[in-house]
Amino acid sequence: MKMEDNVNYCIISNKIDANLLNNLEEYNIINDDKTYEELLKIIANYVNKKIVFNDILRKFRIREQKTIMELLKLRNVNFINITSDIEEALYADYLYVLDQDVLVMEGKTSVVLKEEKILKRIGYGLPFATDLATQLIIYNVLDKPYYDLESLVHDLWI
Amino acid sequence: MDLTTLEGNIIGVISDEFKKEDFEDKTVAEIIGNKVNQALQMVNLDSLVKNKKFQELSSSDKSKVILASKLHQKVIILYDFTKGLNQKDLAFYKRLFKKIISYNKKIVLVSKDARLFINNVDKIYVINNQQIIYETDSIFDKKIYEIIDAPGIVNFFYQCENMGIHLDEYTDINELIKAIYRIKT
Repeated sequence: MKMEDNVNYCIISNKIDANLLNNLEEYNIINDDKTYEELLKIIANYVNKKIVFNDILRKFRIREQKTIMELLKLRNVNFINITSDIEEALYADYLYVLDQDVLVMEGKTSVVLKEEKILKRIGYGLPFATDLATQLIIYNVLDKPYYDLESLVHDLWI
Repeated sequence: MDLTTLEGNIIGVISDEFKKEDFEDKTVAEIIGNKVNQALQMVNLDSLVKNKKFQELSSSDKSKVILASKLHQKVIILYDFTKGLNQKDLAFYKRLFKKIISYNKKIVLVSKDARLFINNVDKIYVINNQQIIYETDSIFDKKIYEIIDAPGIVNFFYQCENMGIHLDEYTDINELIKAIYRIKT
């Protein structure tokens, strides 16, 4: 997996283990033993360009996840987020989708999330807002994809 | 707080006070004990993992092994079970939990992940300082979302309510889509 500067990545994996993490050992890996406050402190003092989150965001509430994202942006730090939760894909610019150890898909987030059938077959599904919008497009209720619930609800009923 | 005494069949517990077990250095066979192949099959794990050490497993397989090790217990308590699981895994385990309770067992899921609770638990407790501070039967109970995040479908329901659109409390996205379609057409 090639990681460029100034890009936020999400690695969606159903097999988060030592082998996967060994591929990223050149980066600083943050494991899920950290509290929210500890993670904010790490980012606030971070000097490198990229940080790896090992399935840690799931521990935090969405508003906390958003604060983490804002702080990363402010500090000009990019992330590689490893997760099995497809909802977290929405924070990233670029996705790698793994099934066990095999790379199944990669690409810009909005492009990969169009591959509904593949994502559902592997088991990740789609983020809820994207899934709902995708189905409502089929029913001719919506005419474009959505990646956040607020915009979807607004456009649906206004 | 004795979690085995909580009322319900599949029970959700929202709390920070209970820690996940650690089985570092033990093999899967040692953790599970008797009937290891049968237990692994039940949780959808290949029997080849039985000689692996716990720390060599992926995070999702660790949860599966812990469940397999508790299948013989009357009350099965699982901590932070969703780590590493995707939507398909969650659906599988929800079906398995229903099968397990049909053998007159009880399952307690200590988690802050409401995805595990929806279409699954019949009772949710909030525990703080070893006391039950809140209990509810409904995944749509707003009070619990002061502590955890609502699953997408529940969040959607509340956001629609805020816009004056009243929908029934759907927990199935296909039913929700049909309801939206009916309103919009």
